[in-house]
Amino acid sequence: MATILTLKRRIKAAQNVSKTTKAMQMIAVSKMKRAQEAVLASRPYVQKLISLSSKLSRTVEKEEKHPYLQSKMATNRTLIIVLSPDKGLCGGLITNLLREFLRLSKEEKEASYITVGKKLEGQVAHRKNEVIASFTFGSTTPTMEMVYPIIRIIDEYYIGEKVDGVKVLGAHFTSLFSQTPKVTTILPITVMEDLEKDQQYLFEPKLDTLLPPLLKHYLEMTIFQLLLENFVSEQASRMLAMQNATDNANGIIEDLKLEYNKTRQAKITSEILDITSASIGATQ
Amino acid sequence: MTLNLEIVTPEKVVFKDEVNEVVVPTTSGEIAILPNHISLLSQIAPGEMTIKKGGTQDSLAITGGFLDVHNNNVSILADYAIRSEDIEIAKVEEAQKRAEKVMQEKASDQDFALAEAQFRRTILELKVASKRRRKI
Repeated sequence: MATILTLKRRIKAAQNVSKTTKAMQMIAVSKMKRAQEAVLASRPYVQKLISLSSKLSRTVEKEEKHPYLQSKMATNRTLIIVLSPDKGLCGGLITNLLREFLRLSKEEKEASYITVGKKLEGQVAHRKNEVIASFTFGSTTPTMEMVYPIIRIIDEYYIGEKVDGVKVLGAHFTSLFSQTPKVTTILPITVMEDLEKDQQYLFEPKLDTLLPPLLKHYLEMTIFQLLLENFVSEQASRMLAMQNATDNANGIIEDLKLEYNKTRQAKITSEILDITSASIGATQ
Repeated sequence: MTLNLEIVTPEKVVFKDEVNEVVVPTTSGEIAILPNHISLLSQIAPGEMTIKKGGTQDSLAITGGFLDVHNNNVSILADYAIRSEDIEIAKVEEAQKRAEKVMQEKASDQDFALAEAQFRRTILELKVASKRRRKI
């Protein structure tokens, strides 16, 4: 009868797992929805900002380009910002990010790192890289407050000419079912060439005073968008992983229940057999 | 002739409509934009902006950002903007008190800066809102 007891116990355990994963899945769904709304809400703003920045930076003469737009190419070093979730249980996302990080670190031999998120923090430090700063990612939708300290460090290294460029490694949200790691170059800023050139624009105050705050703001929004995208990817990935886990747990529960019932049946049958054979023996 | 005005913040599109005149505070002084204005790029200073459409007038509290005028399209990228009719005076006053309290409590530099920004914004919002009340 021990098997029946253990089977019962195993069914109970599988049910608990399925409940937990189901709850985690639901949490991931609601977090993802909220973050997605934030992305959608800021989209018109970002589009306007991009068009404005490209308009402005096009008008600037080559010689007097703002450092954000043109790298000095003095050090041959790159600053890489590695984004990762704080928590695991999100499918292959972290492994994929790690793989991309290893590839990138081979490519960029001379690099300094900033990590955001605990999952890759140890991995980056472990490989004898220079880690300037580590931030946690948090488990709620990223806010603009997360961006400012990062910008401060970027400014110190990039404007201080300690690095040539700044890249961000993070998850790219292609769809609900696929999130791939992606490396984005955020500095120097590359602006797309628009069709309409040679427009006469009036700048008030002068362009030199107007451009720096605009570009800085542009940089802030870019980083913020990347953080948001990383967060949405994390939640989407977790949602999927947890859904699979719930399905698997339910599958196991079904199998175990079948086995449990079979064992129970077998036990009853053998008992009946015992009784009948005993009674036949008694009457004879 | 009308202007296509669009005011967007990172949170949402605050205003999108055809208007006759826009008055915005910029870092180099307040300017009024009428249709057929020359292409202009400017930085917005915190303050009150006014939108005139037909005979009606609408006020907004704005805390800085950028202004782009081109081909009768006016785009305003604001850090934060709120229309006067959306300002809830009670809530703003409460926020003001909260900010004041934090500033008095000698909080950390960061908290103080945040509270100060909040305080300034509430003053601005109250100013814009009181104007509307007087009109009514």
